[in-house]
Order: sequence, then C-alpha cells, then structure tokens
Amino acid sequence: MHELSVAQSIADFALSEAERQDGKRVMEMYVEVGELMQVDTKVLADALNMVMTGPKLKDCRVRVQVTGASFSCRRCSSRWDMAEAKRQLGAVPESLLVEEPESDELPLHFLPYLYPAFIHCPKCGSSDAAVKEGEDVQIRRLVLG
Amino acid sequence: MKDSRGSRFPFQRLEARKRVDQFGKVILVGSGKGGVGKSFVACAIALLLSEKGYRTGILDIDIHGASVPNYLDVRPPLKSSVNGLEPKDSRGVKVMSVALLAGDNPVPMRGGEKQGLITQLLALTDWGPLDFLVVDLPPSTGDELLSAFDLLAGKSSLVLVTTPSRNAINVVSRLRRLARTEKVPIEGVVVNMAYASETRSRRTFPFGRTDRRFLEGALDSTIIAEIPLEPKVNSQSLYNVLHGRNSTSAAFRRLVQRWTVKEGHPRIHDT
Repeated sequence: MHELSVAQSIADFALSEAERQDGKRVMEMYVEVGELMQVDTKVLADALNMVMTGPKLKDCRVRVQVTGASFSCRRCSSRWDMAEAKRQLGAVPESLLVEEPESDELPLHFLPYLYPAFIHCPKCGSSDAAVKEGEDVQIRRLVLG
Repeated sequence: MKDSRGSRFPFQRLEARKRVDQFGKVILVGSGKGGVGKSFVACAIALLLSEKGYRTGILDIDIHGASVPNYLDVRPPLKSSVNGLEPKDSRGVKVMSVALLAGDNPVPMRGGEKQGLITQLLALTDWGPLDFLVVDLPPSTGDELLSAFDLLAGKSSLVLVTTPSRNAINVVSRLRRLARTEKVPIEGVVVNMAYASETRSRRTFPFGRTDRRFLEGALDSTIIAEIPLEPKVNSQSLYNVLHGRNSTSAAFRRLVQRWTVKEGHPRIHDT
C-alpha cells in the first residue's frame, strides 16, 4: 500500500517539474529504489503506471530499478550487505511493525533513514553504522519533452 | 527535450510541503537547552488546543530523546493506509514521533540523514487538515531545527522555553539568535519551573526568581507564561494534571488563550 503513496508522490513531483521547466510532457523517468526499504518494485511500477495520467504524464516511459544497500561501520570499518541487515531486521519486535491491511511492514519500509535504530555492526556491535547507498527512493533522471 | 539528472530529486520535500499547506498555524516549541520541559509545554499546549475544539497535531522531532509519546500515553504500533502513516490519537491530538516507529531503541543518527528522516516523517504522516501543528523541537541548534524552520516556513512561530536559571537563559539566547537569522517569528518565552507552590500563599523558587528584565533583554522577547514546577506530572498523566485545580493548569490555560481568542485565529476548518 505504501508503494501507491510513493508512486503518487513521484507523479506529483514529475508533474510539478514539467510545469516548472515549461515542459510539454514527461517522456522518461528513472526511479531508483533502495533495497533497504524492501519495496516491491513490481507493485511500485504498476502503481506508477496507474497514477501517471493526464496530458503531461501519460505515455511516460518509467524505469524502476533496485539499488543494493551496503553498510559500513564507522568504528571498525567493517562492511556488510543487505543479507546481514535482513538477518538483524528479523529481530525487530512485532510490536514495532506497521500494520497494513494485508501485511505488517518494518518501520524502514516507510522511514529508511531510521536504520541506525535497528542495524548495527556485525563485527564490533557498534550502532554507528553508515549506509553507503540503497537506502531511499530517488528519482535519478527526468526527460521532459 | 530537457534531460535532467539529479543525484536526488527532492520529491518528498514537495509532499511534505503539501501536508504543511493543510495546516493553519505551526507552533514550534524549542529551547536550545535540554531539561527545561519543552515536551511538557508542547504536549500541554496541544492537549488544550484540542480541548478547545481545534484540529491539532503534534510532531515530535526530538530524534534522540523523544518523550511526547510518554506524555500523551501513546505507543506503537502505527497503522498505514493509502494516505500514509496514521498518527496516534491522544484525546483528539494527532501524535507522530520517531519513538512510535523505533520504540525504545536509540537512534544514533548523523547530519543529513536527520533532515531526510524529518522530511519523510512530515511527508508520510496522514495529518489531514489541522488548525494547529505543535512541533516539539530537540535541544541544540542543529539539523533538526534547521529542517523544521525550512520545511515549515511561512506557517510557524517559535515559543522559547527556559527556566529562570541564567545558565539556561544564556543557552536559549543562541536559539533566539538562530531564529532571527532564519526569520522565524517569536511568540514569546515560557518560563517553566518558575516556582513551586508549597501552600496557596507560599512559593519557593528552586531555580531562582525570574529576573524579568534580564530574561526579556537576553532573549529579546516577552514572557508569555510562567509555569510552576508540578511534581504531580511524575505520578499522574499530563491530561489529569491539566484537569486538576492547580496553578499549572491555570497557567497553561491562560497561555493557550493567545491562540484561541485572538481575532483572526487560524481555525481553518469549521465543523
């Protein structure tokens, strides 16, 4: 369900950019989805197709791609990937999962920047972790006609 | 054809601004100093505005020390709908806080990520139309404050909270100067823990007597409330304290009148 709301925000932004830059329409858009959010890219792409309507947005070619998340420890310089992060996220208590009509989601699905609350260095245990990339939804490219 | 490539298009900022457009007025409650009772003051203002029939929300952006959920007795989990995250309800106040997602986990977060988090929190919360959004700011004059000043510009004014202590006032004066450079209007100063009532006629001053001339000069603002130290806050809910016969409740009720009886008050949605 969050995917639909993200899609609507992206569509609203694309439309505002087209208007701001006097573009007749948005021809192409490249959306990058951080792996950390665990967004279903197929659902997001379908949602984008559903909300990209109106003369300036319809027929826009949308590409949605996942960027792998990678982490590092500021204390001991260890690095780890999403597989380790997922292992740690498995320990998030049920009481913190956000209730959606069909399933419960991790808080990071909505607020990926909250990762320091849940992910720590697997080597030294420090919570002073940094995500290198793949944390957020980003519009990387817009082509206006 | 225009081909724009951005490392990060600020699409969530647009969403946040759309939410802000639905607010009548934003009351920022800050201090720069820790431990002076910002959250206590912010929650009391929100509860009393809601009680007066105003659509009121409270946003807790004290990422490292969120305490609004405790004062308002709300806890995880949150729910989500197609319109975003549903804020918790506390006596009619819509509540959103990082603590409702992170629970009791510490959130050791740095710099720019705080800005991203606050933008997302504001953008994703389904506030609906509000007459008032009260924002509980964290101590210091860092990223969280700059983000709030920026995202809520044009709708917000700042309530400065201090104790009578000169040390506290000196720290709060830094926030006062920041507000000036960022062009955030000042509502005035709430002096919290201004005194303690031992009996009806006898007051003590645990943080010293308020030196009105010094305080108003140092903060270039007027005092809009003096709130007594209320020990019952530790044993009773804030709501109960506000509904008791005590000088804390009376002081807050006088304070809130500045937003509720003013001509042209921002009640944007008549029910």
